[in-house]
Amino acid sequence: MTALLGTVGVWVALAGALGASVMLILTLGIRQDERHNRAFPWVAVMVSGCVVAVVAMEIALLTDNFSLAYVAANSTKTTPVLYKFATLWGALEGSLLLWALVLCLYVSAVSLNFRHQISDRLVAWALLTMLVVCVFFFGLLAGPADPFGTLPNPPVDGNGLNPLLRNHPLMAIHPVMLYFGYVGFTVPFSFAIAALVTGRLDERWLTSTRVWTLIAWGSLTVGVLLGAWWSYEVLGWGGYWAWDPVENASFLPWLTGTAFIHSVIVQERRGMLRVWNLCLLLATFALTIFGTFLTRSGVIESVHEFSASSLGPLLLGFFALILVVSVTLVGLRGDQLRSPGSIDSPLSREGSFLANNLLFSLFAFVVLLGTVFPLIVEAINGDQLAVGRPYFDRMLLPIGMALLLVMGLAPLLTWRSTAGSVLAQRALAPAACGAGVMAVAVVAGAEGVGPVLGMGLGGFVIGAALRHLVIAFRRNGWRGLVGRSGGGMVAHVGVSLLAFGFIASTAFSEEGEFQLRPGDTGSVAGHHITFVALTDTMDGPNRVVRALIDVEGRGIHSPAITQYPTFGRPIATPSVATSFIDDVYLSLIAIPEPDTDSVVIRVLIEPLVAWIWIGGFVIGVGTLLAVIPVGISRSARREEEVVRR
Amino acid sequence: MNGYRRLSWLLILLVVVGALVGAVLAEDPPATEAERAYEIKETMLCPVCDGQNVLESNAPVAAAIRAQVDELVDEGRTDEEIRAWMARQYGDDVNANPPRSGLGALVWVLPVFVGVLASALLVLAFTRWRSGREIKPSEEDVQIVRTLREKS
Repeated sequence: MTALLGTVGVWVALAGALGASVMLILTLGIRQDERHNRAFPWVAVMVSGCVVAVVAMEIALLTDNFSLAYVAANSTKTTPVLYKFATLWGALEGSLLLWALVLCLYVSAVSLNFRHQISDRLVAWALLTMLVVCVFFFGLLAGPADPFGTLPNPPVDGNGLNPLLRNHPLMAIHPVMLYFGYVGFTVPFSFAIAALVTGRLDERWLTSTRVWTLIAWGSLTVGVLLGAWWSYEVLGWGGYWAWDPVENASFLPWLTGTAFIHSVIVQERRGMLRVWNLCLLLATFALTIFGTFLTRSGVIESVHEFSASSLGPLLLGFFALILVVSVTLVGLRGDQLRSPGSIDSPLSREGSFLANNLLFSLFAFVVLLGTVFPLIVEAINGDQLAVGRPYFDRMLLPIGMALLLVMGLAPLLTWRSTAGSVLAQRALAPAACGAGVMAVAVVAGAEGVGPVLGMGLGGFVIGAALRHLVIAFRRNGWRGLVGRSGGGMVAHVGVSLLAFGFIASTAFSEEGEFQLRPGDTGSVAGHHITFVALTDTMDGPNRVVRALIDVEGRGIHSPAITQYPTFGRPIATPSVATSFIDDVYLSLIAIPEPDTDSVVIRVLIEPLVAWIWIGGFVIGVGTLLAVIPVGISRSARREEEVVRR
Repeated sequence: MNGYRRLSWLLILLVVVGALVGAVLAEDPPATEAERAYEIKETMLCPVCDGQNVLESNAPVAAAIRAQVDELVDEGRTDEEIRAWMARQYGDDVNANPPRSGLGALVWVLPVFVGVLASALLVLAFTRWRSGREIKPSEEDVQIVRTLREKS
């Protein structure tokens, strides 16, 4: 019954998407622009169908309806309710259903927002592009990735998700945030395509999608960081980023998206870089689809990998279609895209945005190359090789440092051209801030040129951002802190905090492994940990062994190790005693032998990790501030318009 | 630039240089045997656990590789010999660092090549923009200036 409801929902949604697309193609074709709004009822049908399908899946999950193959494979009776709910995005088919739902939300929001401008061909083309993407995803759900397949003989209980996916509440938030980011880039992509098709390549389409791009970017940023946090809290190796192909897949659109939200400022302000900005948007969306292909086709080995499926060729085909359409359109409109104006001096705001774009593109290139390189080599000569973390660290750290430098310089530069003496005056306080951070870091025990220089650059960025915020606040009061420049600078502060945490925790972490009997103490980097006792309990069908550890000054912490009946090897759950200075990261190595009372504990001391999460929060706040429209006074706006002319 | 500002910059420069010198001095002396083993383990991937290195993994095979690395370091083998030995045992993809020779070396070379090329293009674009801005004075302009000069 539920399966039927879900299947009907998917097909209704597909019909709605097709109906709306056909309607728009017709009205666009016969140039009856006042009739574009006839697509709206079909959009409503699509959204309703999708909601019905999602509700059906949730009902099936929450009521343990194991006649559905998806529920039987990914849920169990004993799964806590929160994770039953989150199982919707725990595996391949369900995650595509969530993708479709988020896409429907964006389509609804765009339709509502632009309902009065739908007779504008640009808006109609954008909606049509979005609907074509919807058709593709509902097409997947209706056939090759059907989430509502049923089993003739339903099992009494299901298999359950991989235990790693059901022991931390972040699992309920991280994928949703990530999808809001990933899918959100469909909106600016669609407007870019629409601008290319209609030939209306002035800056108006950009302004109308500004907020959407920022929301997508902010969600993606927070989503990626939540994933890192989840990995840190759950996986037990003490890291948060492994340059795993799936992490890279979510990071690639972030890189090109970040390049875009910066270089688009040059276009809005000076009307330049039109082709480049379009290409960045098209690439960002294409990379989201490419990432989906990498993670859902089974071509790459990864901890995140979804079960191997037949979706590979379809996703690759869709990716190719996007690429062909984009390249063709940009090629056809090439002459119209040539932008007027020129950049006078490398030492200018525009110049710094160009440097930013160069570095971000290079960064993205290295990540993409490193991710697909093993596949390419294997295809060419059959060699199996790995491109791992040391490669990414070595190649990307210099680019990251250069990015920090540009990030600090950019807010100090004026448009068009900056005199050296002006820069020397403006950079003084930020440079002092950077030097101060370096001195503090060395006094606190930091070593090595690279890490200390990196922290100094972080201080420089914070100094430059704060300088900008203080000036803006003096000039405009609280309104100086919102809008793109205010929010952007807050985000810069967040990125620096994140950089501090990243540098300190990678460069200065220390570790120790201790075999302890109750009452024994071990110490690493000045932290003393005492093993108090071991508990061995049953949590439903799962055996949970906990070691109670007293971390000096931070109370009792209990790393655990759990044996699930449906899952072979035991799963270790680390425990983190956190502080603003450093984290004491405890994990149990193995279930202790029955005849001993000693345990083996791995202890990692990781300085400043907490600042990574704080930095992520600040970036999120900065994005929200940037989305708020600037309510600058009318006279100021008039003044700006005069300047623009 | 006034004297006060010059002094401030000098002070900042001193602090930066001082901090960097301090950072270099604080760095540990050259690697001991144990540290060398640690660094090798950091770049060895556990063959069964999707991207974790052998230090991070609790899998039995990771423990075995750790022990083998310690043993080989004790025997006085060089880093390169140990890596090659591991690649023979577990396949080339046990090394987290792609090879520096053959087709695999491209992954190291390409980013540098692309980076240099892109920077060169950017510099070229700047010089073109700059030269495009230079406006040649017309005959008329030259005439006006000449008459003005003659008058004065």
